[in-house]
Amino acid sequence: MSTVLEHEPGVETGSSTRRLRAAIWAILKDRPSAIVGAAVLALFVLVAVFAPLIAPHGLHERIGPPFGTPGAYPPLGLDDGGGDILSLLMWGARISLMVGFAASLVAIMIGGTVGVIAGYFGGVTDTVLMRITDYFLAIPDVPLMIVVAAIWGPSLWHIVLVIGLLLWTSTARIVRAQVKSVRERVYVKRARALGAGNARIIFRHVLPQVAPLLVANTVLTIAVAIFDETALAFLGLSDPSKISWGKMIKNATGSAAVSAGAWWTIVPPGVCVALVILACTLVGQALEDALNPRLRVAHLAARGFRLLPRMLRDDK
Amino acid sequence: MSEQVLAVEDLHVWFDLPKGERLHAVQGVDLDLEAGERFGLVGESGCGKTTTILALMGLLPSSAGVSGSIILDGEDILAGGERSMRPHRWKDIAMVFQGAMNAFNPVQTVGAQLVEPMEFHGVATGDAAKRAAGELLEMVGIAPERAERYPHEFSGGMRQRAAIAMALACSPKVLLADEPTTALDVMVQAQILDLLTRLSDELGLTLVFVTHDLPVIAELCSRAAVMYAGEIVEAGAMETLYHDPRHPYTRMLFGAIPDPEGEREVLSIPGAPPRLDREIVGCPFAPRCDVAFERCPVERPALLELGPRHYAACHHNDPVSTVAS
Amino acid sequence: MRGIDFILKRTAFALITVFVAVTINFVLFRALPGDAITNLSKVPGATPALRAELTKEFGLDKSKWAQYWVYLRKLTTGNLGVSYSTQEPVTTELWRAVGNTVPMVLLGTLFSIILGVITGVLAAWKRRTSLDYGSVGVALTFYSLPTHWLGLMLLLLTAGYLPRGGREDEFLFDPSFMAHWLDVGKHMLLPSLTLGLVLYGQYTLVTRSAMLETLGEDFILTARAKGLPDRTIVRRHAFRNAMLPVITLVALSVGYIVAGSILIETVFSWPGVGLLVSRSVERRDWPVLQGAFLLLTISVVFFNYVADLLYYEFDPRITT
Repeated sequence: MSTVLEHEPGVETGSSTRRLRAAIWAILKDRPSAIVGAAVLALFVLVAVFAPLIAPHGLHERIGPPFGTPGAYPPLGLDDGGGDILSLLMWGARISLMVGFAASLVAIMIGGTVGVIAGYFGGVTDTVLMRITDYFLAIPDVPLMIVVAAIWGPSLWHIVLVIGLLLWTSTARIVRAQVKSVRERVYVKRARALGAGNARIIFRHVLPQVAPLLVANTVLTIAVAIFDETALAFLGLSDPSKISWGKMIKNATGSAAVSAGAWWTIVPPGVCVALVILACTLVGQALEDALNPRLRVAHLAARGFRLLPRMLRDDK
Repeated sequence: MSEQVLAVEDLHVWFDLPKGERLHAVQGVDLDLEAGERFGLVGESGCGKTTTILALMGLLPSSAGVSGSIILDGEDILAGGERSMRPHRWKDIAMVFQGAMNAFNPVQTVGAQLVEPMEFHGVATGDAAKRAAGELLEMVGIAPERAERYPHEFSGGMRQRAAIAMALACSPKVLLADEPTTALDVMVQAQILDLLTRLSDELGLTLVFVTHDLPVIAELCSRAAVMYAGEIVEAGAMETLYHDPRHPYTRMLFGAIPDPEGEREVLSIPGAPPRLDREIVGCPFAPRCDVAFERCPVERPALLELGPRHYAACHHNDPVSTVAS
Repeated sequence: MRGIDFILKRTAFALITVFVAVTINFVLFRALPGDAITNLSKVPGATPALRAELTKEFGLDKSKWAQYWVYLRKLTTGNLGVSYSTQEPVTTELWRAVGNTVPMVLLGTLFSIILGVITGVLAAWKRRTSLDYGSVGVALTFYSLPTHWLGLMLLLLTAGYLPRGGREDEFLFDPSFMAHWLDVGKHMLLPSLTLGLVLYGQYTLVTRSAMLETLGEDFILTARAKGLPDRTIVRRHAFRNAMLPVITLVALSVGYIVAGSILIETVFSWPGVGLLVSRSVERRDWPVLQGAFLLLTISVVFFNYVADLLYYEFDPRITT
């Protein structure tokens, strides 16, 4: 009976987004690394959103000679086309983050749907869907992405779709496992006994329980999606008209920046990608960790118990 | 029969809690064990009994701080910390764990795990050790050939027997058994208890049996100590404790034993033990005690000797307070 | 005997996965509508005779189902068509590339496993010390770096000390046997190092968490109770058990290794399968891309299969 009471009030209040936000905040605030990650992520999102307002120069503006040094054109110098690197980073953030968020949205939608259906209905549906997932898991996604992107031709939406369509498998597995356990909880069984329909049970009872895990998974997927965009751009499969961080790295290598020693064209976009991936990983892992607590005791530690002098007990 | 093997004096254990607080898990425990005796340590979960015997093995985690002395054959083995305890582990004091289901490494054969401590402590090596492992298994009623098998191929009861055999590998003087029968069904429990009784008789082994299950101790042990909130509240011979309990908690523990026909149930003493992360004022048992009086919540009772080797910590045994009330 | 069932099941799964990949391959390249769809006969610069021969060989004038059938039959004989750009058989090009990729990837992967396992074990053993925080921090950082970017960074840093790319120095005139392989080794160093560095981070993290989980098991407490020193406990009891998830991870990361090698070989112009992929993407050389994709998929499936068998070998509990 206590289980029912524990879960019931939260489910009934209805404002599940607020609850989710509160839950996520509660998890993050005890983990300094996750706070840093979330702050970095927020900063990049702000820069991306306000790029048109804060970027010192326009996207296609030429303000000096190719490979102008950071000394001559502070703070970060110029790229092969004489464009301001700092401005390009800000504009690039829009595309890179957009691809990251949109692609993981696609992945989460597909993976979430497959996971919920497989976990909730079980039986043959589950077996069939999970077999399909297994096969997709076994096929290396980057080569498949390359092939599909090459065949479809370079366009931003193709990239988003290609990445999204291939990243859903791990989400599906994780969600399925969670749904399976939620399904067996007392209040879900009771809702079913009371005659609630499947759709109602899924949306009112199952999804709110799966949501935090889904958020954690989304954050991790964003990191992979941004990585994949960078990789596809490097192989010349990105939209030629759009500047992303990946495209900036590609342009720099294509224009022989390495042999020219123009490190300032290569270092900044890579650092941005790395920072975003690191931030997503820190946040995502903190969330996952908190939601799936592993065993925290270790019987073997860096040091054993301490020997306290006898008098110590008196100072209590 | 009165030769002292192991003595514990004024043992304290604190655990550091995440938020800078400390949990005083064991609060000044004294024990003294004779060669070949079977001694029971009984109490509710969280009363510090497992912590006490882990301290005897020196197996506390790094969050623990320990003080006191553990005297084995006249030598204080706690004095040098981890370093002075290690040579005695398994060789002099061995242990059968609560979750003996998982006491074996799943990817090594049972035999290899029996041989390991023998070789490490130099008791036997090579084929001699293997033979000894077979004999140990035979002693606990397992066919010696099964030494080649992996733990998952053993049933629960069999694994517990094997765990006992493993504990005996270096012929220890003292065997600590921490709720060794909890996860087993009743039939197997009885077999394990018989086995422990037989082994301690045959080998002259000192057995410390830790449990929350008073009937088990009553059947098995000659002497026992009752722990509550990190300290011993009463200790004495089993008959004395049964017929003449001098602490209300002991009396209530015996009272809480259900009739033999009924199902086993958890101790039905109302209330819960006090939290150990703050200082306890007065008698820790006072809030749950049915005979508490004004002195109990304010003054902590001392452990008084009431008869030959019979101790209890209750104000009712204090002549001063008896007069006062 | 233990595990016949297990082996049969895993074998069946591997075979079906390969079949699924083969089919996806066909669908992607020849059955999907789109302007980039291959027609194996449209080899640029080919003579009409070659075209006619290819049309006949691959049944291009027949239905898709018939083409699929021909495609499967050709696969069994290892015929993957002809490269658009070189007009060499795809299989020949692939084999040559594999010979270059394997040593580079092996060296890098070995390096990453050793580094990852050592740092992971140490981090878990010395948990909550600066050694732990340091190893995890560095591992996470390398894990987050874009592969090709790390390669470019190493190129910038070593400019002038190590060769910039390729497999060997073209201008080394008639080198001795030793000099030749030394030269190749020098060229291989940076690609392997890049791969090793981007891979090792996740091995550290997984080894660490597997070790921590194992160190929390009761049998570790038993081992301590036996009086064994910490080093023996880590080596004999914790390590082997913790390696089980690491084996799985290494196998699962073969896909990641494949992705890494595509990017790395492109950065360093290392003439392996990865470079072949990126070149064929650039030139829209569909037969080569298709062959490479198939090869990569099958090798990933194969390594997953091997990992399953290894897991089975190491863990006596597995029966089905």
